[in-house]
Amino acid sequence: MSRRVVVTGSGALCAAGAHCADIWAAACAGHSALTTLSDWGASRRGGVVEIDARTLVEDRKLPKLLRRSDMYGLYAAARAIDDAGLIAYRDTLADRAVATFNDRTGVFVGAGGSAYQNQYDFFPLLDVAGDDLPTFGRELPATVNPMWLLRSLPNNVLCHVGIRFGFKGANACITNHSVSGLLAVSEAASAIRAGEVERAVAIGHDAPVEPQAVLYFERLGLLATECVRPFDAARSGSLLGDGAGALLLETAEGAAARGATVLGEILGSGCASEAGHLLAIREDGDGLARAMTAALDDAGLDAADVGMIVAHGNGTRRSDASEAAAIGSVFGAAAPPVTAFKWAFGHLIAAAGVVESVLALHALRAGVVPGIATLREVDPACAHLPVLSAAQAPRSDVALILSRGFAGMNVVLAVRAAHGGRLP
Amino acid sequence: MTRPRVAVTGIGLVTPLGNDTATTWAALLGARSGVAPVAGFDASGFPVRIAAEVKGFDARAVIDDRKLLKYANRYHGFALAAAEEALRDAGVRPAATTATRWGCVVGSGMMGVDLGELQQVHRRAVVDGALQPARLLADGSLADPVAFCRSQTNAGLGLLVQRFGIAGYASSVHTACASGGQAIGTAAKLIRRGIADHVLAGGFDSMINPIGLAGFCLLGALSADNDAPERASRPFDATRNGFVLGEGAGFLILEAWTHAVARGARIYAELAGDGNSLSSYRITDSHPSGDGPIQAMRQGLADAGIAADAIDYLNAHGTSTLMNDRSECAAVHAVFGAHAGRIAVSSTKSLMGHLIAAAGAVEAGITALAVHHGTLPVNANLVERDPECDLDFICGTPRARPVRAALSNAFGFGGSNSCLVLRHPEADR
Repeated sequence: MSRRVVVTGSGALCAAGAHCADIWAAACAGHSALTTLSDWGASRRGGVVEIDARTLVEDRKLPKLLRRSDMYGLYAAARAIDDAGLIAYRDTLADRAVATFNDRTGVFVGAGGSAYQNQYDFFPLLDVAGDDLPTFGRELPATVNPMWLLRSLPNNVLCHVGIRFGFKGANACITNHSVSGLLAVSEAASAIRAGEVERAVAIGHDAPVEPQAVLYFERLGLLATECVRPFDAARSGSLLGDGAGALLLETAEGAAARGATVLGEILGSGCASEAGHLLAIREDGDGLARAMTAALDDAGLDAADVGMIVAHGNGTRRSDASEAAAIGSVFGAAAPPVTAFKWAFGHLIAAAGVVESVLALHALRAGVVPGIATLREVDPACAHLPVLSAAQAPRSDVALILSRGFAGMNVVLAVRAAHGGRLP
Repeated sequence: MTRPRVAVTGIGLVTPLGNDTATTWAALLGARSGVAPVAGFDASGFPVRIAAEVKGFDARAVIDDRKLLKYANRYHGFALAAAEEALRDAGVRPAATTATRWGCVVGSGMMGVDLGELQQVHRRAVVDGALQPARLLADGSLADPVAFCRSQTNAGLGLLVQRFGIAGYASSVHTACASGGQAIGTAAKLIRRGIADHVLAGGFDSMINPIGLAGFCLLGALSADNDAPERASRPFDATRNGFVLGEGAGFLILEAWTHAVARGARIYAELAGDGNSLSSYRITDSHPSGDGPIQAMRQGLADAGIAADAIDYLNAHGTSTLMNDRSECAAVHAVFGAHAGRIAVSSTKSLMGHLIAAAGAVEAGITALAVHHGTLPVNANLVERDPECDLDFICGTPRARPVRAALSNAFGFGGSNSCLVLRHPEADR
């Protein structure tokens, strides 16, 4: 007894813009928003949100309790909920119906955050205490913000979306590196399908652009120096980006009953691990291939039904090559147009899959698969992939979105676009 | 098409009461407290100097892979050991032919680097309490890849799937103190959806380190009864004054019922229902009316298809804070009405402290054991009744009582509430 799940609202924020349409337009124009990070000494690049994060949340006291990443997540969630007209609809309900509405509305978050920066609140204490733990303990109450622990909670966005909008249904906060966001969408859709909730907001947020994270990624050889060139022979790594994305999902019946504009449909998803080391990636793309197959099975689709693929395409040597292998193993020589978006605003880690899903729905609705603007010469290992620096046309209204993360994690989402606000 | 049932066929525990399930269970039945002065580091300057630490633990005694353990910090070691015990207990483990049908869902603690790494950054790249990014980025000694790996949000998940060869759905979740319960709820759904036959599901955490203890001290959430550690955690007692920080890991093997029956597995309990709600009230407090936990318990019962009066035991969240304990009791009364007084209730945090992200998973394991043995552990230290907490608490000695079905509650900072429903495998459906 499976129910159809549709998308009725979206929100996104990253270096390329604070509105879905702006980010989409920048990607179509081939504009990369990756910039040089000032005040970091030698040149480092990344995707930063230029807007002061504190202005992104309505409650002026809230920024004291939140990390930068949380404010991005709350902003994107509010945009998606607003875009769906959900609160205006709830306002038309009688009190008793409002309580049921709230109890049957879920919140699913893929959470990242500046893991290192957060602990820097302890530096003034370390100035005083050095390595002396008894002094650390004694001076603690006078030196560190009493709210430190709350500000560090990975589930802050879940908590505050709940408080702000009153949603009380099934929820999850997924902390699974860069598959977190796409897995949040997948879990939200599964909860709606299974009848646990009638609707849910799915959010991914992260703020990996902090010096200590950049330092680690750099030492591991994962970062590019100039730009991200997915599937290019000369690609040299990824670049980190801050951002957030959100989708409002609900049952097709519920959306129709309230006359909501439908942006698309969630058809299915798949998740697979490669059971290797945290930093290992199988060359044959085994986990990703199985996640794609699982998503197609879940959606009841054949590979030939897929009209385009939004690849993970993070620009590192090993990930892109194994991703190409995985697409090859599922689609053979007949892969649909493939694109990727990390060249445009960086790798948003926990937020990546949600923002890229928003863009996939834009692409299907517009009938345009944007080119990978930084692509100059396709890596021979990826020669079977239909990737171009110029735009292509999708083969159908169905897209696969691919997310991969540390610990050999792979998540794939299958979506279908709606045209004119209605499902086909 | 009927929904697949979910069997609990393996339990593994590393807790302040013992480094395996049998020792933990025996300590619970003997009402022996795991709370003591902090021994892991010099906490003499902290306002709170007691905790429920795991004692004498060495991951190498259980996990024979030094290279893997290099990437594991203290709580990852707990997780690996508890997971190994659960798999051994279940008598089934992933093999090449079954790996893709195995899932893994974990509730993991808050991540960050440990104090040593933070001190290193502080010494070399901080001026007047502020990080100097250029100095950090120019310093070759500050980027230890092992520290980086350990600090990743899914580092524990990664170690588990690598160690045990799990190639299906794998995820890591964090909703503070509800994490372990929500992880097990998510895991059960994988079996119901038909995408896994077995799931290694649980939680692990340790915040008993200078930064973790500092965070809770700053919030004023902990009992500062430094002179009476064994009495400090007293859920539902009128004199309670905060919780006691614990650490550990709990893992269950969840298995599709038909698989478990076909291989003649011992089934501790059926994981019959999962309730999952959001309080949407305040970050740390639950609503005095019990709103939030009420929905979680109702959902759990509805999901299990169980009447409220079939519940015989509740393993309460029972943190030993005024707000939680009263709110939870109000929720139990709201959900169960006249039956509330007939449910035997205990918070095992009274003996093992609060295991934070591991709490819901460890307590689900304990609840499964209670269902299996028909023996209910005590709510220790309940001497002076709080009139606002009027339930049938198990005091003094464990209670022998056949359990048709039981609940395990876990509520977290941030407002997430998990309620797992465990049914006796032979209970009438």
